[in-house]
Amino acid sequence: MEQLVQELKEHLIEELNLEEITPEDIDAAAPLFGDGLGLDSIDALEIILILEKYYGVKLANSAEAKPVFYSVNSLAEYIMQNRK
Amino acid sequence: MAKQRVDIYLGASAMRTCLGDKAQTLAAMNEGKSGLSYQSAWGMYAGCSQVAAIEGYTRFEAMIIAQIADVVQQSGVQLSDADTQLIISTTKGNVELLAEDCDNIPPRAFLYASAERIAAYFGCVARPVVISNACISGVSAFVVARQMILQGRCRHAIVAGADALCEFITSGFASFKSISPAPCRPYDAQRDGLTLGEAAAAVLLTTDSALADSNIRLAGGAITNDANHISGPSRTGDGLYYAISRAMAEAGVGCDDIGFVNTHGTATRYNDEMESKAVAWAGLDCKPLNSLKGYIGHTLGASGVVELILCAESLKQDYIFGTKGFESSDTPHKLQLSAGAQSIEGRCCVKTASGFGGCNAAVVLDMGAHQGAEIACRGVKQVAEYTLPQSELPFAQFIREQFRTFGQSDMKFYKMSDMSKALYVAVERLLAIEGFGDVEPTRRAIVLANCSASLDADAAHQQILNSHTAEGASPAVFVYTLANVAAGQMCIRHKIQGDNTFFIESADSGTAEQYARTLIATGVADAVICGWCDYLKGNWSVDVKLLKND
Repeated sequence: MEQLVQELKEHLIEELNLEEITPEDIDAAAPLFGDGLGLDSIDALEIILILEKYYGVKLANSAEAKPVFYSVNSLAEYIMQNRK
Repeated sequence: MAKQRVDIYLGASAMRTCLGDKAQTLAAMNEGKSGLSYQSAWGMYAGCSQVAAIEGYTRFEAMIIAQIADVVQQSGVQLSDADTQLIISTTKGNVELLAEDCDNIPPRAFLYASAERIAAYFGCVARPVVISNACISGVSAFVVARQMILQGRCRHAIVAGADALCEFITSGFASFKSISPAPCRPYDAQRDGLTLGEAAAAVLLTTDSALADSNIRLAGGAITNDANHISGPSRTGDGLYYAISRAMAEAGVGCDDIGFVNTHGTATRYNDEMESKAVAWAGLDCKPLNSLKGYIGHTLGASGVVELILCAESLKQDYIFGTKGFESSDTPHKLQLSAGAQSIEGRCCVKTASGFGGCNAAVVLDMGAHQGAEIACRGVKQVAEYTLPQSELPFAQFIREQFRTFGQSDMKFYKMSDMSKALYVAVERLLAIEGFGDVEPTRRAIVLANCSASLDADAAHQQILNSHTAEGASPAVFVYTLANVAAGQMCIRHKIQGDNTFFIESADSGTAEQYARTLIATGVADAVICGWCDYLKGNWSVDVKLLKND
């Protein structure tokens, strides 16, 4: 799980162009959306792509996925449960 | 100083939609038929048009040439007459040529190059004006054409809009999860996204009443920006409300004069919700309202032109088409949705559009006697200018160093396209010379032009399609395949809620500045950022000015 969280942070930084942010800057338990990282609805769609691309996990749409998208930890949990 | 306003009439028109030519489209819509069908190549429903090929021209060019030729033939107005202006509205033009080679961009993938070929076909004397403003392009083209005629720069304008569907476009909308799994259902409680369509249309605008079609005038128009988000519609509908109210004020009409409203009505959850708020805010929720997307789909750069022509037909016949796919509503404000065809009262209609980049546009058609209202003519002064310097450094490094000098942490900056980053830095420096904090957001505007439109982002999107076919496109890349989104970013950053128009031309001939000056002179805006903003594969050219009223 810890390794997955670290890996997810790296994917988020790379794919969402979070320049000047390091994995250590991201609190895995803190809300992803809102003020912190400045993520928006386009980033949510990009996170869906990350889940598909790296973990083969599909999500229908970002509206259904609100609890999953809460934090890096919740994303990691979802991947653990749904990864094939 | 004030001068008499001339009346601008709608003249001959022509279209090609998935339902056929104009007569066939009207007949099919009268029967409640939809032209949308499942397209297995793209895995989605869409409205595809039959286009007669023209030797030596692309599909996009052939479809638009046929409509312009029809208008020329019907009206007798010649584009070889210096008094006639060709205005082309398109979001993507010949973008499908990128599929062949996105490393070496084919010359005809440039919108201006394609527009110049179309203009040459008709022996145009005046250079064509190309507007690429996402989904409001068509309605924007009418607003710009109107200003050009009012300024006496031409007596006639042929406004032509088209977009040809291809995987570049369908995959991008799919990446936004905004495609409906079934034919779209505008405003319906079950709506679940838009359906793309393909169309081309052209219409004559003229000051010559002898060429008018039923004395319908293009009485007013306005372009605004939400200054909220580059892809999500406004939560309040404020931007579209400003566009509608300003267009009505310019036309000198009140709610009582309006017979119906034809909205963009794409059938995405958020768009229709936003529109219901804006329409109610403008006091038009008591008026019959329709969306035509269920018949012909969302035809992108053609949509404003096709739908305005269909609105004019409705005004002439005193009845409006239904909203194909609509059964029951769940929008926050109850609207008088026209489910089936219905008769209308009132001599005017309002046509709206909203699109990526946060842009909105509205125009008013009026079949009543002319108003002869007067428009202001104010002085314009340039208060600041900034040219982004060239550098030996690669762009990424250059622009990062520039950005760091601002000493701020705007997380959004690094997510922007390179063209947006270049514009961001230039506008930051421009406004440091002189700001516009004293000017109300709705009185601020941004008008830009460039040569490559969004080809840099287009190539990146095409590259993704070529390399990761399984995962599909990236929404964060696709959103920048519209040049005006860079302007939209500036609207958010600097709270610019007025006009935001993007022109495409081969080199800076002053089109953007001329239009910006018109906005101030006629009292539409009090402060306008205008100029040139181009970026393609590591090369940039950004020169912006701030104009204010004198």
